[in-house]
Amino acid sequence: MAADVAVTKGSMMSNHSKLSITGALAAATCTLLGSGLPEPVQAQEESGWDFNSALLYYGEDGDRVQDLSLNVLARRTFLDDKFLSLGLTVDALTGASPNGALPQSNAQTFTRPSGEKTYTTPADELPLDDTFQDTRVAITASWQQPLGRLFQLSVGASASAEYDYTHAGLNAKLARDFNQRNTTVSAGVAVAHDTLDPVGRTPIGLAPMLGEEDLSNRIGDQTKDVLDVVFGVTQVFTKNLLMQFNYSYSDASGYLNDPYKILSIVDGVSGDAIPTNEFGNDGPSQLNVYESRPDERVKHSFFTQAKYYMGGKVLDVSYRYMTDDWEIDSHTVDLRYRWPISDKRYVEPHIRFYTQSEAEFYRASLIDGQALPEYASADYRLGNFDAITAGLKYGWKTGGGNDMSVRLEFYQQSGSIPSGQLIGNQLSRDNYPDLNAVILQYSYRFGR
Amino acid sequence: MFKKTLLLISALVLTLQAGAAEPYDQFDLKGHAGKVVIVDFWASWCVPCRRSFPWLNTMHRKYADQGLVIIGVNLDAEKSAAMTFLADFPPEFGIYYDETKDLARSFGVVAMPSSYLIGRDGEIRQKHFGFKVKKQDEYESAIVAALLDTLRITE
Amino acid sequence: MGTISGCSSMGVEPWERDVLAKEEMQLTSDPVEAALDDHIYFSKEASSGGRGFGGGGCGCN
Repeated sequence: MAADVAVTKGSMMSNHSKLSITGALAAATCTLLGSGLPEPVQAQEESGWDFNSALLYYGEDGDRVQDLSLNVLARRTFLDDKFLSLGLTVDALTGASPNGALPQSNAQTFTRPSGEKTYTTPADELPLDDTFQDTRVAITASWQQPLGRLFQLSVGASASAEYDYTHAGLNAKLARDFNQRNTTVSAGVAVAHDTLDPVGRTPIGLAPMLGEEDLSNRIGDQTKDVLDVVFGVTQVFTKNLLMQFNYSYSDASGYLNDPYKILSIVDGVSGDAIPTNEFGNDGPSQLNVYESRPDERVKHSFFTQAKYYMGGKVLDVSYRYMTDDWEIDSHTVDLRYRWPISDKRYVEPHIRFYTQSEAEFYRASLIDGQALPEYASADYRLGNFDAITAGLKYGWKTGGGNDMSVRLEFYQQSGSIPSGQLIGNQLSRDNYPDLNAVILQYSYRFGR
Repeated sequence: MFKKTLLLISALVLTLQAGAAEPYDQFDLKGHAGKVVIVDFWASWCVPCRRSFPWLNTMHRKYADQGLVIIGVNLDAEKSAAMTFLADFPPEFGIYYDETKDLARSFGVVAMPSSYLIGRDGEIRQKHFGFKVKKQDEYESAIVAALLDTLRITE
Repeated sequence: MGTISGCSSMGVEPWERDVLAKEEMQLTSDPVEAALDDHIYFSKEASSGGRGFGGGGCGCN
């Protein structure tokens, strides 16, 4: 049975870059609005508790991010289709993340975000900042009940905390059935308020990276507010086919930068980083500036999903198109095929294709001597890339009638920098931080 | 309403089998003339039906000797699925398998479960769609009123 | 029961929802897994969410 969702809040997985995940909150709340809540029309078992728990490992290659996450979602069913869901997520993150600077043919030294030390990247390697280890705790709560015979209402709240980021949010959703429950129309809204308190305090956008102990270009806490609105229609077409269509609008405003990401300042002809001796051994060995993004982001997403039953097997196909005012466009296609191999076991292969185009202010590097643009970011997650996920899940019913599953997936991102942005020696280097990650999850659902 | 009643009464049939656990061969209201009849449409995959069955059994025990007849009409695609449900929730009232779904259509079933309360005069007095535990007392009062012939027709 | 004009002929009868009632036919059959995936992709990509709501299911009550 669908149960409520735990988790989702805005930063995870990639060290300090997590904070910059624009719309982090938006994603979190959209998830809260969407996938997490119990299906309105699926009446539940007798009153009691049921639990959905999962342990997830995510690991990138090349000494990059690794994350271990424990999630529990507990749902209490009350008579007449009322539900209370409580979720808890704890995750621990370690590993290094690209800081946005380009590889060079000599070693580069950078100051850590805290300002306390420096770190050095060898020649011809992608600069990675391995400063962070972090633990995050997130909680969610929601209540769902029918209103009259044809309406369903859900309300919920979420909060999360890690040492440099906190989140709090509220959400609500109303759904109504039509056409003998063949059609369901829903509308949901979520608001969130996040606070960022980066290590070493927030760097001023496009200000230069300074030496150790110099926090003069830092300012205080920052906040971010997100509003998400989602409209959806679910339609039963045949006894074996169900489809869903959603439109989502998201407006994030406030501090949307990743405070730990920088850009290289390079020579306009050679494309090489400009060296500096200003800091000696106690600071960066080349010029870098902190990134700067607009203080607002409006996103529109169109999503459709179909579930088709074929004599015991279930095909789940979905497509999402996203476009925003940062000029990022993305397409996501996701396919899952659940294949029972006995009445107690199934396998489910999964494949996902994703592609996005870069943000309007994405820059591989900035040219020395030219006026700084208003906004610039070299964060690969705002760049132009394709990604594929391929995986397999195996699930079974235990002797006690509970459900367990394991899934193993591989996620690969490969991107490219728009050719107009590469200069001189950059053209001969591998500049884009491609990503290869493995996802391993064990899940146990019980109590139903 | 009237037309519906005529439809029901004109659903001609043969004799019914008495006895709670025996399924009905045919659906016939004429054989129950003068009694209060609950026609309850259910299916094995319908979760509220798991709550309604014990309650229907209670109603049967309480009111059968006052003239209450309960007919559970099954709408499963496969009888075997219904049998599994009945093994978990044994009924003390009769079950009829509406395999063609004609009965569901003639009653105008629009939700699962659907329950129709028919008075001693053969007219549908009340219907409810879905089963809410909180409304059990309401449902029961309607049965009592129908048995006393004091229940007015309501939607 | 209201009907949306134009849609009133699409769909199934209330008693034809046995398949739709199955857990594996719910739009989000595992909300925890969906949330974990959303979180991974939201951390590594510029898009997020989009998924939706309920509907489908057994249509009971």
